[in-house]
Amino acid sequence: MPEFRFEPVVMPPAATSLRAEVRAFLDEEKAKGTFVPTVGAMVAADPAFSARLGARGYLGMTWPKQYGGHERSALERYVVVEELLAAGSPVMAHWIADRQSGPQILKHGAERVKKMILPEIAAGRCFFAIGMSEPDTGSDLASVKTRAVPVEGGFRVTGRKVWTSYAHMAHYVIALVRTGGRPEDRHVGLTQLIVDMKSPGIEVRPIINVYGSHEFNEVTFDDVFVPEDMSVGGIGNGWAMVTSELAFERSGPDRFMSTYPLLVEAFREIGESPNASEAAELGRLVAHLATLRRMSGSIAGMLNEGKSPVTEAALVKDLGTTFEQSIPEITRRLLPLEPRGGGNGQVYDGLQQLAQMQAPCYSIRGGTREILRGMIARGLGLR
Amino acid sequence: MSTNEEADGVRDLMLRSLDRIVEEKAENAAQRADGKPGFPADLWSALEEAGMTALGEENEGDLGLGNAAALIERAAYQTLPVPLAETILARRLLAKAGIDIPDGALSVAPPSANRDGKAAGVPWASSVAGVVVASGPDMLALVDAREASSPGFNMAGEPRETIDLGRARVIASAKVVDAPGVAEAEGALIRAVQMSGAMSRVLEHGLTWANDRIQFGRPIARFQAIQHLMAELAAEAAAGSASALMAVEAVAERSDRLAIAIAKARTGEAAGRVCAIAHEVFGAMGFTQEHTLHYATRRLWSWRNEFGSEVHWQAEIGRAIAAGGADNLWATLTAHG
Repeated sequence: MPEFRFEPVVMPPAATSLRAEVRAFLDEEKAKGTFVPTVGAMVAADPAFSARLGARGYLGMTWPKQYGGHERSALERYVVVEELLAAGSPVMAHWIADRQSGPQILKHGAERVKKMILPEIAAGRCFFAIGMSEPDTGSDLASVKTRAVPVEGGFRVTGRKVWTSYAHMAHYVIALVRTGGRPEDRHVGLTQLIVDMKSPGIEVRPIINVYGSHEFNEVTFDDVFVPEDMSVGGIGNGWAMVTSELAFERSGPDRFMSTYPLLVEAFREIGESPNASEAAELGRLVAHLATLRRMSGSIAGMLNEGKSPVTEAALVKDLGTTFEQSIPEITRRLLPLEPRGGGNGQVYDGLQQLAQMQAPCYSIRGGTREILRGMIARGLGLR
Repeated sequence: MSTNEEADGVRDLMLRSLDRIVEEKAENAAQRADGKPGFPADLWSALEEAGMTALGEENEGDLGLGNAAALIERAAYQTLPVPLAETILARRLLAKAGIDIPDGALSVAPPSANRDGKAAGVPWASSVAGVVVASGPDMLALVDAREASSPGFNMAGEPRETIDLGRARVIASAKVVDAPGVAEAEGALIRAVQMSGAMSRVLEHGLTWANDRIQFGRPIARFQAIQHLMAELAAEAAAGSASALMAVEAVAERSDRLAIAIAKARTGEAAGRVCAIAHEVFGAMGFTQEHTLHYATRRLWSWRNEFGSEVHWQAEIGRAIAAGGADNLWATLTAHG
């Protein structure tokens, strides 16, 4: 039987002092008013904040120094990420670049591209978007239609990507495109290309989301030229690249910390002497959170050892997004529902409303709950 | 070989030896299902001979608790009808109290069911050499209750008896600060570990069933509805087991009531969902005495209540965090890595 053991992760000694250092930096930022804690984990973006993180060495942490990295362990990076999310800080500008595009380029990119892009990401000056979904391609990612036609020195890309988060702030988009075959050929003939957002022929149109915020975009490629060496992992290997990337992005604290700032505010509102049901409801959430931290940290340890815990990562994302979605639903059973419009409780009210409207996206982004449960079932030998 | 590898080797040997004893002594399904036929003396002596009943004395920062927990988890996976977990629990408490540990099977009275001169819900009270009872706010006693117990069973048919404390013979007693709290927490930790083992049994059983049972011309595992249910079962079982493992490690290093509270709350909640899903997947087939699914599910339903239900422990967590102030929640969660 497949057994999922979430063994303890042994944090490097440097992690403790690093945690304190990051926490002090974030307290300072909050005191200066550079950000107000918010929910959503990967929603608020502030390029200046990202640049300050870069200057402090908190981006590209695990990469080699020759590419602007800091050669620290994946577990030290984990601590930084966790602290940034717990504080509800605006991390979205650099998030995709630091979490997945940079590591992919480091592993599978051409030397020229690595030298050009990675130091900029590590400095917090270069941001990425992911171009996977299309109007007719959602969970069924292998059906993409955007085409890249080989030309002298590279490719010409034509097609349309949607739900491209923060493309309006990004310097590059990594697009999953078809370099061979037809959409019916599924996984065959797909390639990931790094496209410079300044290229002629790219148009970015905002798609305003359900709560009125501009995070998504539609990105249209009209005969956009991409140099030959801007592929990730080579021509025709797009599917392998995408699936390994998703495995890495699924188990991090960003998959269960989205509404953590709301939980903190709920504790503040309820005060130091909760009644029995308040204590039990909030205590239950803390038990879930502590367990998720354990599981996620354990996966970080496995990844650090070079293992590939794909099913475990899907498990954590499934449990994690269910947890973060439950926080607004449970806290609204405990606290006033009508906004109070002044005095104490305004912070809570604001986060509560935003969290309720945001919550549906947690179990959609990065692979829907249903896709993940299918992956877990495969890991269990049921399909 | 590193110390860790050596420890892992010792643990593997122990667990394999437990499985062998189960094969030889407990293959009778009825016996495994239910304690009602009485104390299985031959199974117990096999465990005793293998040295498995003498764990639990070393209670500080050692391999002892880790090995004991691994054994308790496996015995629960095997749904063994013996007070192995209770004996290890009692030995830990007696060691804390500095009371001499008698030979043979032992048990512990759950402190919350101890009132009006009676201790209720005591596992195997009439079959064991001694029962550890929190006899006062700061007092732990070891009593012989063999002549002072009236019968009773939990939902799984495991003996849960009532001791008339006035009639029980006190063997020894000693001062332990907050004895009821200590016994309750240690008991909760043991039950959390047992639930982890029983949930892994239910998962295994469910996977085999889903792949074997044919309906509409194919194994029910091929249906997405079943796949998603089993994925949820696996996730809950994994979360429960992770929280129990976390508490065992924490308690081996320090006194950590919060970690125990988290484990009992999380495993108890997971157990409810795991049982509900398993019975849904097994359908009417799993809803009979004859079927073996209930060996584990009825234990899970019982164990999630014993030594404090999940709501009891959730409320304790909530009160502790609230008292520390909202802004200290994160520091508390990250205090130990």
